[in-house]
Amino acid sequence: MASKLLASSLLRQTLTKPAARRLSTAAAAATATEPSPPPPPQLVDDEGVTIKGVKISARPLYLDMQATSPVDPRVLDAMLPYYMARYGNPHSRTHLYGWESDQAVETARAQVADLIGASPKEIVFTSGATESNNISIKGVMKFYKEKKRHVITTQTEHKCVLDSCRHLQQEGFEVTYLPVGPDGIVDLEQLRAAIRPDTGLVSVMAVNNEIGVIQPLEEIGRICKELKVPFHTDAAQALGKIPIDVEKWNVSLMSLSGHKVYGPKGVGALYMRRRPRIRVEPQMNGGGQERGIRSGTVPTPLVVGMGAACELAKKEMGYDERRTEALQQRLLDGIRAKLDGVVVNGSVERRYAGNLNISFAYVEGESLLMGLKDVAVSSGSACTSASLEPSYVLRALGVDEDMAHTSIRFGIGRFTTEEEIDRAVELTVQQVEKLREMSPLYEMVKEGIDIKQIQWAQH
Amino acid sequence: MAAISSISRAEVLSLYRSLLRTARQFCDYNIREYSKRRTIDAFRENRALTDPASISAAYSGGKSQLEIAKRQAVVYSLYAPKIKSVMEIRPN
Repeated sequence: MASKLLASSLLRQTLTKPAARRLSTAAAAATATEPSPPPPPQLVDDEGVTIKGVKISARPLYLDMQATSPVDPRVLDAMLPYYMARYGNPHSRTHLYGWESDQAVETARAQVADLIGASPKEIVFTSGATESNNISIKGVMKFYKEKKRHVITTQTEHKCVLDSCRHLQQEGFEVTYLPVGPDGIVDLEQLRAAIRPDTGLVSVMAVNNEIGVIQPLEEIGRICKELKVPFHTDAAQALGKIPIDVEKWNVSLMSLSGHKVYGPKGVGALYMRRRPRIRVEPQMNGGGQERGIRSGTVPTPLVVGMGAACELAKKEMGYDERRTEALQQRLLDGIRAKLDGVVVNGSVERRYAGNLNISFAYVEGESLLMGLKDVAVSSGSACTSASLEPSYVLRALGVDEDMAHTSIRFGIGRFTTEEEIDRAVELTVQQVEKLREMSPLYEMVKEGIDIKQIQWAQH
Repeated sequence: MAAISSISRAEVLSLYRSLLRTARQFCDYNIREYSKRRTIDAFRENRALTDPASISAAYSGGKSQLEIAKRQAVVYSLYAPKIKSVMEIRPN
């Protein structure tokens, strides 16, 4: 009875409230000359924005260049005309709109080819490196499926390569996942030993997305040439960062991405060797664009952006490289000067300078990332971030579970400033010190106890 | 550049100042700092140029960069985010 009474009074309240509000707005409208529209939900106010329940008063400084890079203004400048008057379909053969778009696409193709030492005829535009990897791995194996039943790759490849391989396994192909050394580099003798007469493809990435190590591609290419096995490399993180030459590396296929070289997202390219010719089964069927390998209208503005980004990368590579190296040294020196127990994951010598993956001993990685809210960094790849699992790449390197949990990847790029690096060092040091102060493990280590010897009670 | 005309010191300095002025107009912290830095470094790199042909090539290259920068400074200002970079809010 009491509950019924309460319910009815509640109902009355909810019924009367809107009526009262309507009355007051009507009164307000009567006094004002024109009724104002209802205000939109406030996301941005004077203080800042609220996203995912977190109040942010400033844009964090960006050190996550491996996830994606900002579009260079020079790239955007090249793209914009193709979002305005020049909107033609590059495959239209009957009018100016088509012709001018087609010309722009072909110019972009030449720009991409030029950066990797290929012929424009060997470039196929795709939606990104993931699609290029899928076409390479599944496409090649399915085309040569009568004779070739085996693929070789490494344990530290990008998710899309590993997943494509898994897909092939379900269809009855065999896959060898080569282990890597503690420095993240694949062993060449092991690779050679793994090649069989029915091996249809070797796929090894150029620059690792999580730890930044550079694989010995020239040597792998030589082995593949000697044993006559097609060689595919995922060069998404390498394009525009390290010199690429398809002849020197002897690759048959290479995956490229636009948005890692200050170009737009949603566009990539696939290099396919013509001599000796490598053939693939298309993964997308349709109008036969891109020589039937990748049907679907070529997105002119994106492709123009990728072309411009590649041309720019060729021109700026030396300058960018010098800067990135200096900034990486500044970051590492800054952190090492104030903190102990800092470990760089992966080879230090064979490494792209813009990627610095470090582990901080006795600190929990997720807490560190949460504490660093003014620095946009990640614990590894964007695809697997936010999962509490440690990165499979670090595990493949044999990094201890506790150290794998504390890794942070700092990505330095063309637009990173010295001041940003200094601020990142300051904030990281501050946060790590704070977390270590709270850590009983760190206290024990300081007292001279070897925590590896501790027998933890089992529950 | 039609013929290889020699470019005066004043013209080069004027281009340099225009590029820096335009760079300062970028509302984005990183782009602004980059444009300034890249301009200064490019002119420093090319300081030793003596060959009129390469001077004129560098000059016209700089001119086209200036045109791009002028356009993009406007585009960036049109879509400036409401909140600024943390680097601009608490300068150390």
